[in-house]
Parts: sequence; structure tokens; C-alpha cells
Amino acid sequence: MSTSPENPDRALLAWVKDRYPVSKFVDWAKHKTVPIGPSAFWYYFGGITLFLFFIQVGTGILLMFYYKGSSDTAFESVRFISAKVPFGWLIRSVHAWSANLMILSAFIHMFSVFFMRAYRKPRELTWLSGIALLGILFGFGFSGYLLPWNELAFFATKVGTNIIGVIPYIGDPIMYVLRGGEEVTGSTLPRFFALHVALFPALLTTFIVVHLFFIQLQGIHEPDAWKTRPEQRKTMPFFPHFFMRELLFWLITLNILAVLAVFFPAELGIEADPFSPAPAGIKPEWYFLATFEFLKYMPAHVGPIEGEEFGLLIISIGFLGWCLVPWIDRGRSRRITTIVMVAGVAILAFLSVMTYLGHVA
Amino acid sequence: MKVFAAALIVVCVALSSGARADDLPGGKCLECHLMTEDGVGELWQDDVHARAGIGCDACHGGDATQDDSELAKRSGSGYQGELSASEIVLSCGGCHSDVEYMKVRKPLLPVDQLQKYQTSVHAKLLAKGETRVAQCASCHGAHGVREVNDAKSPAYASNVPATCAHCHADADYMADFDIKTNQYDEYVQSVHGKALLEKNDVRGAPACNDCHGNHGAAPPSIDAISNICGTCHSYNAELFLASPLAPAFKEKSLADCVACHGKHLITHTSDEWQGDTPGATCRKCHEEGEDGSDLALYFTDTFASVRQSFEEIEQLLGEAEVKGMDVTEGEDYVEAARQGVMQARTLIHSFSKPVMEEKLIEIAGNQAAALEVGYASLRALESRRRGLAISTLLLLFLTLLVAIKIRTLPPLG
Repeated sequence: MSTSPENPDRALLAWVKDRYPVSKFVDWAKHKTVPIGPSAFWYYFGGITLFLFFIQVGTGILLMFYYKGSSDTAFESVRFISAKVPFGWLIRSVHAWSANLMILSAFIHMFSVFFMRAYRKPRELTWLSGIALLGILFGFGFSGYLLPWNELAFFATKVGTNIIGVIPYIGDPIMYVLRGGEEVTGSTLPRFFALHVALFPALLTTFIVVHLFFIQLQGIHEPDAWKTRPEQRKTMPFFPHFFMRELLFWLITLNILAVLAVFFPAELGIEADPFSPAPAGIKPEWYFLATFEFLKYMPAHVGPIEGEEFGLLIISIGFLGWCLVPWIDRGRSRRITTIVMVAGVAILAFLSVMTYLGHVA
Repeated sequence: MKVFAAALIVVCVALSSGARADDLPGGKCLECHLMTEDGVGELWQDDVHARAGIGCDACHGGDATQDDSELAKRSGSGYQGELSASEIVLSCGGCHSDVEYMKVRKPLLPVDQLQKYQTSVHAKLLAKGETRVAQCASCHGAHGVREVNDAKSPAYASNVPATCAHCHADADYMADFDIKTNQYDEYVQSVHGKALLEKNDVRGAPACNDCHGNHGAAPPSIDAISNICGTCHSYNAELFLASPLAPAFKEKSLADCVACHGKHLITHTSDEWQGDTPGATCRKCHEEGEDGSDLALYFTDTFASVRQSFEEIEQLLGEAEVKGMDVTEGEDYVEAARQGVMQARTLIHSFSKPVMEEKLIEIAGNQAAALEVGYASLRALESRRRGLAISTLLLLFLTLLVAIKIRTLPPLG
């Protein structure tokens, strides 16, 4: 490679190389590999989730140029964004759809990791940081849903924070802090806004860095069979082979987003009125529907505890089990692995059925 | 234990009943009348006068300290017994028209009831010896008089129509008075009756007394009509009185508002009222081809045209909304136009084409703005779809480039 000063591009590269160990990074990127096989398709969803996060950051910053986070002005400002700001409708719709696709993509990524058993040693912390990331995404979704301050969001937030209040001992204080009082009021909105644009972005960025750091440190998980049959091992360089394929998926995702934003733009509905009765058919966003629907099936009381508390207890136990999967299935017992995999299928089926029932209810 | 509880209840009831009789004024009269079947003692429990400490003797005379009824009603005790209609008026009016007396006890209560009553048809007939007319007790009750803002009072706003109808809807009772008895039936079907009796709008909707007067109840004179209706419908009355129709109505002795809207059966107005068909309200006076008839036709055509525009706007905005466009700005214009139509309906009472035209320009402006929002939304939708098509082509091109690049990469393995 010529670094002739006559060629400005080369000259710039030479200038950088003189000061920074660029070659080391290029060598590292060239030697980083990604497994090839029937499961390779699922590897792309981590990158798609990251791509959608970048879109969220970009559109979120643009929305903040016009959004006014108080109960007196929020609805009108979102209406202004949708109706008056050039391409405001597009930015808002892309932000809303991208949020939903990001959570869907994160779900797919998590279950693909689960079914490929990529959570096993030494990737326990990668698994946990991934779960934390999904939890933060839920927080993003829950806090962002209220921001347009429309009727549907207002009452869905009321129902959502009510569920938090059911948690024994800590539920009530958390609910009080989230709401800024006993009820969802105008005081709730600035809190959700602060969480949405300050706390959650900081947490998410931190955990993404940690998650990616673990992945780079340990490499991408390879199928277990390759350990016993190394001759089957097939990989591709991360750069440019995997990167170009990932880019292909990003472009497809971007196109899907554009189609969704144009044909199904984000609705606004009517402004929230804390004194009006709740309209019929209040539901949370689709990713909370399974929990919401499950709690609806709970009887009034189960033994000495209330039905909703019992439901949350079951969900909490399930969540704890999900977090501890790397320590439950260490790959030492085929029987345990089978049980864990069957449980995973059952959880996936349960979430799908409950979400469907919640949707049609 | 059960016996003890039962005994306790009996003692408590007995004590409370005794306390009830002792607390209220009425003395020995009340002690007897609580045990008689005339119900006077029971009614007295809720009477405003009883609560104000006024005893039976204030109206009936007699000696309320006597245990023996003969002694209580003896000659020289001022005992009057059951009061006649005229005596009731004087008895009630004796206190209620006494400014000094009422100022101390109920300072905000008017003291002109007797004075007004004497101007009523009821009082005039009573003066002629007709005792079947309404006097104070007919509407307020005798021994269970309640405040008029007490929902149980027969003089409470939503009870007034039934109270008046008690006599005025009774064909047999009213047979000798030569007045109709269908007022109540008509009133309950009217906008006022529905608002008061169905929606319980006791502050807004008028009952009989709001037009006929409370104590001075009488049919309103023709001259008074616009003032009576104008109490609530002030702008309509103002427009009408300044219109060319006001002197014309006066000349023909037509009752202003009543001539078009009716009396007790006042229903919602409709654009058909101004139609040029025989039987329409304006055609009652105006023949075809007259200026008045032409103006009515102008109003009719104008409102029909405005209605048609609303239908067009709703269809357009609905189409844009179904396609996912935000049309709330258009809906705001529609709302402003609808407000304008309501104002235009009021402006009919000016019976002036220029006045109406000014308002119609405003309505048409809002309707045009709403239409523009609808068309702009559909244009924007088209433009969005074109933009999507272009961006899709661009993204497909980029995807193709990346795919080609992937194929040119060194083979794997």
C-alpha cells in the first residue's frame, strides 16, 4: 500500500497509522470469525437489534427537538410533530415501529441464544447482560408509551403501574415514585420522560458496551458438536464476510421500517383526561400482553395470598430460572439439557398463546 | 341476651320519639296530632317552620299549653282551626311580607310573594270567591313545607310541572275555568320539559313558573313574550326586537317567539321550518313570492348547502383518517364551522340577509380550510407513497450492491 503524500486518502491513512495502532485493529477484525452452519441465520439478530437501537437514538434526538414533556403540552407537541413538522410523522412512526421491532429482534436473539445453548460456560455473564438489556428495553417501551399523553397510554400506564404496586413490600414505594404520587397524573409524565431520555439510554449504552465487550473477549459461540468433530468446523471472517451480510439485513430492516411507517403511521388518539372514566379494551403494548393476560386468569386468592401476587410470584420464579439457565444446564447431563430445552419451548409457546389471547380479548 | 337487646331497642326508639316531639315547637297540639291519623304531626317533623321554632298557634291560634283539646281551642284563645283559602294567603303573607320579621329570620328570602300573588289569576279568582284556586299551601304544602331547593318540595324546579299539572291537567277540576288542560302533556314533550325532567337540568331548563311567574302566575301578555323568552335566550330576543319583524308582529298582535316556536310544546328547530312549502313556519304569514318568503328560501338553501358541504368534508376527512393520516386540524375547522352554524341559526332572528351573509363567509372559510386539510392529507399520502417507492428502490439498489460485493468476496473455507 502506497502512502504517498500525493494521494490525500493514503496520506490521511498514513497520518493516522503514525499515531494509532490501526494495523492491530485491522488484523484483529480480519482474524475474528463467525461460525457457518444451519444456525448462522440467527446470529444476525443481535446486530439487527443494535442497528435498531441506533435508529432509536437518531429518531429520539430528532423528536426531542419538538417534544415538550409536560402534561399540558405533551399531546399538542406530538400532534405538532405529526401534523406540522416536515417529516415529523415519519420520524415519529419510525421511532415507534423501530422500538417494537427492536424488542422483537431482542426476543428472537435471546431465544436463538437459548436454543443454541450459547449461554453455557464461559458466557454466563453475556447471557445475564443480555437479559438486563431486554429488561431495559421493556423499561424504554413502558416509559415511552406514556409520552404522547393520549388516553390509551394514560390508562395503560395506570394498569401497568398498578401491576408493579402488587409486588409485596417494594411494589407500593416503586409505584409511588414512578407515578409521582398515589395516582397517574401530570406529575408522572416528567418522570417517565426523564427515565426514557436519560436513565434508560445511559443504562442501555453501558450494558451494550459490556455485552459486546464479553462477545469480543470470548468470541462468538460455536456449535458443541465441533468440539468432538473439529473437522466439521466452518467459519467466515467477521470482516468483510459477516459484516457485509449483516449490512444486507440492516438494509432489509430499514426497508421494512419505511413500509410500516408509511402504511401504518403511529396514531395519536385523543388527549388523556385523568378525570374521565377508563375506555373499554385498555391493553398494554404487545410485549407486556402475555403477563397482563396471565394475571387476568388468576383467581382472587390462592391460599393466603392474593391472585395477582401469586401470578407475579410465578412469573418471578420463571424469570429467576431463566436467568439461572447457564448454571442449571452446564452441559454435563443430557437429561437436564433436554428438560431445559423442553421448558424453553413451553415458555415460548406460553408467551405466544398468552399474547394471542390478550390480543383477541 | 336477645331479650335484653330487644328491650334496649324499644327503650331507644321510645326515647328518640319522645325527644322528637319535645324538640319541635307545637306544644300540646303536637303531642295529640302525632297520635291522630291526619298525618299532621308526621308532616310537621320536616317542616321548615317547625325547625325555625314557629309553633302551631302562629297560624291556627289556640292555647298550645293546654293538655285538654277543649281548653286549647276554647273561645278567647284565638283558635282558628282549619284555615280557608283566603285565610291561608293572609296567614302566610302576614309573616312573609313583613320585611322586619323576615329580615331577622330569613334575610335572603324575598318578601314580595303576597304582593305578586295578588296580581295572579289565582288571587283574582279567589277575590271573587272562587276557592278552588291555588294558594300558598296548594303548591308548598301545609304542614310539611320544605325549602324550595329541597328536591322533596313540590315547589322544587323539577317538581313544579307536576305540581301545576295536579290541577291544570285535571279536565274535571278545570272544567269550569275554560282553559285547556293539555299544557303538561305538551310541556313534557318539549325541549324544556325533556331538559328538566329527563336530564334533570334544574338550573338551566325552565319549568312553568319561569315563564308564568311563581306567585304572580298568569298567562304572559303578548308584549311580555320576548322579555320572558329573552331572559334565557337573550341574544335571540335582542336580534328579533331589532329586526323588521318585531314591529310587524306588534301590528298584527302576534306573540313574538310563540308565533313561530309555540308555547308549551316547544321543539327543536329545523331547517324545514323556513321552507317554502305550505305549512312551513314562514308560510304561515308569507305568501310565495313575497320578500319574506324569498328570505326564508335563502335561509333554507343556504343551510342545505352548508349541510351538504359538511357531508363532503366528513367523507374526505374520514377517507384520509382511514388511510392513517392525521386530520385533527381539519376536525378543528369542522368544529369551528359547526359553531358558526349554531350562531347562524341564532342570527335567523335578525331576519336580515346581510347579517347572515357575514356569518356564512366565516362558516365557508372554516369549511374550505377543513376541505383543504383533507385534500392536503391525501396529497401528502400520495407523496409519502412515492417517497416510499423511491426509498425502496434505493434500498433495493444498495442491497443489490452489497449482495454483489458479497459474491465478489474471497470464497469461504
